[in-house]
Amino acid sequence: MTTGGAMRGLFLGVLGVVAGAGLAVAATHFAYGANHAGFGAERELARFGLAFAQVRDHYLSQPEDRKLVEGAINGMLTNLDAHSSYFDPDTFAAMETKAAGAYGGIGVVISVRDGATKVVSVVKAMPAARAGVRAGDELVAIDGIAMRGHALGDVSARMRGTAGTPVKVTIARASAKPFDLELTRDVIEVERLTWHREGDVGYIKIVAFSDRTEPDLRAAVASLRRQIGPALKGYVLDLRDNGGGVLQASIDVADDFLDAGEIVSVRGRSLRDIERYNAHPGDITDGKPLVVLINGGTASASEIVAGALQDHHRAKMLGSLSFGKGSVQSIVPLDNGAGGALHMTTARYYTPSGRSIQVTGVVPDIYVSGGPDAPQYQREAELPHHLDAEGPPVQAFGTPLEPAAGHSYLDFQLSMAVAFLHKTMAARSATPHHA
Amino acid sequence: MKRFAFIGLGMVVGFIAALGLLPSARGANDVSAYRQLDLFSDAFERVRANYVRPVDDSELINAAIEGMVSNLDPHSSYMDAKAFADMQIQTRGSFGGIGIEVTMENGLVKIISPIDNTPASKAGLKAGDYIAAINGTAVQGLDLNAAIEKMRGPEGSKITLTILRTTDKALAKKPFDVTLTRAVVAVDQVRWHREGDIGYIRMPGFNENTASGLEDAVRDLKRQPGPPIRGYVLDLRNNPGGLLDQAVQVSDDFLAAGEVVSTRGRHADDTQRYDAHGGDITDGKPLVVLINGGTASASEIVAGALQDHRRATILGMTSFGKGSVQTIIPLGEGGGALRLTTARYYTPSGHSIQAQGIIPDVSVAAGDEDDIPRIARPSEADLRGHLVNGDTTARRPAPNIIRPPTSGTKPADFQLAFALDVLHGKVAGIPAKSAKVN
Repeated sequence: MTTGGAMRGLFLGVLGVVAGAGLAVAATHFAYGANHAGFGAERELARFGLAFAQVRDHYLSQPEDRKLVEGAINGMLTNLDAHSSYFDPDTFAAMETKAAGAYGGIGVVISVRDGATKVVSVVKAMPAARAGVRAGDELVAIDGIAMRGHALGDVSARMRGTAGTPVKVTIARASAKPFDLELTRDVIEVERLTWHREGDVGYIKIVAFSDRTEPDLRAAVASLRRQIGPALKGYVLDLRDNGGGVLQASIDVADDFLDAGEIVSVRGRSLRDIERYNAHPGDITDGKPLVVLINGGTASASEIVAGALQDHHRAKMLGSLSFGKGSVQSIVPLDNGAGGALHMTTARYYTPSGRSIQVTGVVPDIYVSGGPDAPQYQREAELPHHLDAEGPPVQAFGTPLEPAAGHSYLDFQLSMAVAFLHKTMAARSATPHHA
Repeated sequence: MKRFAFIGLGMVVGFIAALGLLPSARGANDVSAYRQLDLFSDAFERVRANYVRPVDDSELINAAIEGMVSNLDPHSSYMDAKAFADMQIQTRGSFGGIGIEVTMENGLVKIISPIDNTPASKAGLKAGDYIAAINGTAVQGLDLNAAIEKMRGPEGSKITLTILRTTDKALAKKPFDVTLTRAVVAVDQVRWHREGDIGYIRMPGFNENTASGLEDAVRDLKRQPGPPIRGYVLDLRNNPGGLLDQAVQVSDDFLAAGEVVSTRGRHADDTQRYDAHGGDITDGKPLVVLINGGTASASEIVAGALQDHRRATILGMTSFGKGSVQTIIPLGEGGGALRLTTARYYTPSGHSIQAQGIIPDVSVAAGDEDDIPRIARPSEADLRGHLVNGDTTARRPAPNIIRPPTSGTKPADFQLAFALDVLHGKVAGIPAKSAKVN
C-alpha cells in the first residue's frame, strides 16, 4: 500500500464519519422534537418542509421555489396583524433605492373599510387618473397580491416605488369583472408640509412624517412668525388624515414644541427592550398656544405627536377620536435584502404618562364634529388580528360640537381651533400682570 | 445562544428529512429548494424571536402553508386540523349528530332549518329556534364551530338542548329543554320523486354515498306506483362537485361502455382513464341533465361525459367551468392537509372545460339569473389566478337562450318544466336523447 493510497483512504474515512455523525445526531433531535413540546418549532418547520415538498412535487405545473416561499412568508406575516407584511426582493430593492422624498406613486387617495381598499379620489394628471381609475373603485390587488385585509399603510407602501417603475393594479368597479391596469409610477409631490396664516393664527398641516418634515416645520414656523409678527396668537397643527410615517420624524416634531421631558417610549417584547426618547431644550414657537387637530385618520406617528403634546399639556387636542395604532413596525431584511424584508410589528409605544393608545386612540380635549361630509373612519379595533388594548376602554366623551343650524363652515374644526386660540389669548391678557 | 443554534440545526434537518421522503425531490434544482427553505426558516425564526408578542408556532406555519398554496390557483388551499375533519365529514356524507343547519345570532346558535327525518325534526325543533344551552352549558361565549362540535357525537348518545322560541309569544321568555338521541345524519343526500311518468333525481353534491343513492333512486322510481317510467331528469344545478370516483360511477350508471373522463397531471405518466362498464341502470331511457352556473367540477364531469356520448340532453345555462382535480394530502397527525390542484380532466372527446364550462344543448334560463350580481356568482373564468385552458379548438356557441314568459302563469321551476316538455316530445326540434340501441 502506498502512502498516497493510505492518505486517500483516511481522507474519505474522515468525511464519511463526519457525515454519518451529523445525520445520526440530527435524526435523534428530530425524533426527540416530535415528542416534546419544547421542540415544537422544529416539528412545525418540518411540517412546512413537508408541505413545500408536496407542492413542489405534485402541483399541476412546476412551481417556482421562490414564489412558493414568498407566498409562505407573506401568509405568515399578514396573518399576524394588519400592519405586518412581506416585501419580496424586488419590492424591497425598489424601496431601498428610492431617493428620500422623491419617490413615486400612482396618485390615488385611498381608504380601507371592512377590509376593502376603496379609491377616495384620484390626483389629476397622475398615472391612476390617466389610466381611468375613478373614485369609488375597489383596489383588489397590487402586483397580483390581494389587498383584502391589508392595512392602509401597507396598501400605500405597495403602491409606492421609484418613479418610472411599473405597477399592476387590479380594480373592481360595481358589479363588473375585476380588471388589471398596468401603470407607471410618477413622482407624486403631495407629502410636503403646508402652512398659511389664518388671520393672526399660524396654520401648519403635516400630511405624513418623513425625513423632511421637521426641517419643513422649522421653516413654516419661521415664515409664519415673519408674516404675522407680534400679533401671532398661536398655532394650529393639523394632523387630520395623517396616517403616520417615520418614527424619528414624529419625535423631532414633538421635540420642536417641548422644552424637556419624555416624548415616547418604545417597548419590544422583552422587558429589557425599552427605548425612551426625550425632548431637548427649546420650543421653536416660544411656548405659544397650540391646538392639534385630530380625527379618525390620525394614526401611528401622528398619534405619538398628539399623545406627547397632550400628556405634557403643551397643546389641546381638537377634533374626533384618533385611529388607535399603538404599535411600531420594523423592516427586517432577510439574507441582507437579497431575500426581501419582513415588515413586522416589533414594539408598542407609550406616551409620556405611560399609556398605550392601541385601539383606544387619542381622545380629543375638545370634541368637535368633522361635519356632515366627514368620512366614517375604519379604526384599529376593526382590523383583523389587531393587538389588544392595554389601557381601560375609552369612556364616553360626550357629544361633539356641531355647527349651529343655518351656519356653514369651510372647515368647522379649524374654525373652532382658531376661536379657541383667540379665547385663550384673551384670557391670558386679562390675567393681572404683576410688575 | 446555544439553544438557538441547536434548534437551527434541527430545523434544517427537518426540512431535509421531509424532502428526502419524496423520490423526485433530488437533483440539481434542490439547491434552490434548500436556499428557499433556509430563507423561510430565517423568516420564521425572526418572527418567533422579534414579533411584538409570542406567537404560536403552529399558527405561524398554518398561515405560511396557506399563503404558499393559496397563491397557486383559486382551488388550492390549506385545511387546518379542524377544517380537514369537517371536509372528511362532507366526503363521508354523514356524521353523528341531531340534524340541524345553524348560524350564530345575538351570541346564540339559531336554527336555520331542521333536516327531515333527523332527531331534531322528530323532536319538533323549528326554524328560528335559538339554542341557549347545550347539556346545561350556556352557548353565549362559544363560537359557532365549538357549539357545533358539542352537538355532534356518536350515534345513540343523548344530548339536552335548552331552546328559546321567540316566534311563539307564549314561550318567548321561557326557555325549555329538549333531550334528543343523536343519529347518523346524512348530508347532501340524493333525493328523488316522480313527475308523472318522469323520474326526477336531485343530486346536491358528490360524496361517498352519491352513486349508491342514485342507484337507490332509480330502483325506487321504477317500483313506485304509476305509469311506466318514460325518462329521467338528473338535476345537477348548483352542485359544486365532490369526489371524482363518485362522478365516474354516476356517469357509468347511465352509460353502457366507453370512456367517462381522463385526468392528466404534470407528468405524462400521470394520465388516468376511467371507463364505463356494467350497463345502463335506466335501460337507456331518455335523460335530461339540468345544469347552471353553479354546476361545477365533478358535476361537469358527469354532464360532459353524458353530453359527449350523446346519452343525455344537457339543458339549462353554461356551467361553472372548473376543469381541474384537487388531491387531499394530509400533513401528518393533527397537521391538517393540503388541498392541491394536481391534474386537469378531459371529457371523452378530449376537451377541457376549464374556464369555459359545459355549454348546454338547450339553453334555458331560470329567470332569476339577473337578480344576483355577477360578482356574487362568478364562473371559473372570473376567479383571480384561474388556470388557463390550453385547448384552442373552436367551441360551438351556446344556443339562443329560452327565457320564462314574463307575463301570465309561469311554472315555479321553468327549467324543470322545460325538461319535462322535452322528455314528453312537446318541444319541436328538440328530441330527448336516449341511449342508442345497438
